[in-house]
Amino acid sequence: MVLQTALLIGLVIFSVLAILLKDLLKSAISLAAASLLLGIIFFRMNAPYAGVFEISVVAGLITVLFILTIALTGAGHDVRESKLVNWAFPLVFVAFIVIDALVMKSLLGKVPALPSGTEAGAFGDVLWKGRTLDLVGQIAVILAGVFAVLALFRKRDKHD
Amino acid sequence: MIILFVVLPLIVAGLLPLVGKVSRRVLPDLLANATLLFLLVYAAVAGRALIAGGPILQQSAWLGEAVNLRLALDGFSLLMLVAVSLVGLAAGLFSIDYMEHYGAKANYYALYLVMVAGMNGLVLATDLFSVYVFLEVAAIASYALVAYGLGPDELEAAFKYLMLSVVASAFLLAAIAVVFGMTGSLEFAAVAAALKELNAGAVIGIASACFLLGFGLKAALVPFHAWLPDAHPSAPAPISAVLSGLLIKVSGVYAMTRIFLNVFGLTPALSTVLMVLGAVSMVVAAFLALGQKDMKRMLAYSSISQVGLVVLGIGIGTPLGIAGGLFHLFNHALAKGLLFLTSGSVQQATGTRDLDAMGGLAKRMPVTAATNLVGALSIAGVPPLNGFWSKLIIIVALVQAGHPVFAVVAVLASVLTLWYYLLIQRKAFFGKLNEKWAAVKEAPFWMTVATVLLALLCVGIGILFSSTVTTWIQPAADVLADGIHAVTGSWGF
Repeated sequence: MVLQTALLIGLVIFSVLAILLKDLLKSAISLAAASLLLGIIFFRMNAPYAGVFEISVVAGLITVLFILTIALTGAGHDVRESKLVNWAFPLVFVAFIVIDALVMKSLLGKVPALPSGTEAGAFGDVLWKGRTLDLVGQIAVILAGVFAVLALFRKRDKHD
Repeated sequence: MIILFVVLPLIVAGLLPLVGKVSRRVLPDLLANATLLFLLVYAAVAGRALIAGGPILQQSAWLGEAVNLRLALDGFSLLMLVAVSLVGLAAGLFSIDYMEHYGAKANYYALYLVMVAGMNGLVLATDLFSVYVFLEVAAIASYALVAYGLGPDELEAAFKYLMLSVVASAFLLAAIAVVFGMTGSLEFAAVAAALKELNAGAVIGIASACFLLGFGLKAALVPFHAWLPDAHPSAPAPISAVLSGLLIKVSGVYAMTRIFLNVFGLTPALSTVLMVLGAVSMVVAAFLALGQKDMKRMLAYSSISQVGLVVLGIGIGTPLGIAGGLFHLFNHALAKGLLFLTSGSVQQATGTRDLDAMGGLAKRMPVTAATNLVGALSIAGVPPLNGFWSKLIIIVALVQAGHPVFAVVAVLASVLTLWYYLLIQRKAFFGKLNEKWAAVKEAPFWMTVATVLLALLCVGIGILFSSTVTTWIQPAADVLADGIHAVTGSWGF
């Protein structure tokens, strides 16, 4: 329980840092750390596959892509941000924590325990046989992403 | 083989960039529009025969093994499929000439077809998470399409749209997680059956609120509308037509009503919330539209206002109200598609969207002006056009259900709508011809074909409104009016 609480607090701290830090590199690393902690939480909550994907894809692959992009674009000028963000975000965050603490405990008590429905089963079966339509959707998402990159980075020859 | 609605556009989309290497224009134009035409014929001609014996459910097999490719087609999904294919085809035909100067046409059509596949998949999905997945498919394609012009405005609008859509997705995922936690299932039928057994009003309330926020953002209801007046005008005209005519309705209104009416069951409280949200959107957006000088921005605000009317109609919850709402959804898809396409013709001919700079264009572009007038009068609710009948049904339903105040608000909003559409007519098409536009010519062939097609449909449906309602709208309204029985009764596998 203590470990779990520590992990959750760490997750929140690193997530907040990822938003607040001005240095993009530090921000990306904070996000990776948050994701790593989330992966560990997934493992501890009996969701090993979710943990593996979280750590390998989000903490690993995506962080590499972020850092690569930051390295390629180089250290430019500071991005000028609206002052509003500096105080609005912490304010909203504190309000969220308060509401969360007041509401969630009583609310979660009312959620019935998850019955093991028909959708429980071996990971491979669930993915390939249970969620096949989502795999088709996944292919469509990848196609959309590829075409979007092709479209947005095309040569602007004719259109002014 | 209703899975063709999803798989065919995806396959063609995958082929298009390769085809684009061989032929930069003709083949991509032909292939994309042939696909859209096929889907339209399939939906409009074969669709009704398919669901004649009740909703059909399809579970596909793959290499001899049953896999969970479950899709369901009923009256409501068929209406949406027809709307998607119809406006999709018109915008596709319009793109033949319009997208010429943007370049990379094959890539454009590929994205466009992925968006169509996403909308079709969402409409046919039988489970909450699949709804989310296909919502994202259509959304990701649409971000790129909004930014397709690559100008600073387009990129900023696409970024804003992306950011607010992500917020919507987060709320939807949270709601889906809560529902899954309560019921242990994601399938509409199982969830509806389980929720009926459970006594968990407060938690359902939280899930409903998250869904409302998520779908409200997708449908751009006031106060969640901030992204739409930037995103829709910035996109290329055929994409504006599809976004305003279809996407906000499929990923906002369709998904919301399917879940609220067929899975959760419409409670009196939810009904009131929907009606108030709808009425507020309708009125606030109509006033905002009045003040616009940019033609496409005015049309974008008008979309928010009309979606408000659709939600108000469906929110009544009576069979007549639902039928009116769905009929208006269909009519608005045609008319707003038409208006955005004609605004594209005007923008291409004059190079501006500023209404004050236009004037007298009807003399130079008579077909565009006439079709634009048909669309404007249709949305404003002038008889005998299609929009008049759907507005009339909604107002009658409001009075019948004992909501005279909402009925008066709807009538007043219609007057505002007529006002700003007459402003467009007066500033852009009538009056003295601005000297600058002396050399302007009528829009090219395919652009004119697309607008004339939609204008004829607006007039035709207005005249044949009673048979349209009985053939297409009533079966869809019956599904929604049936509440959760529509899915628990016949959607079990």
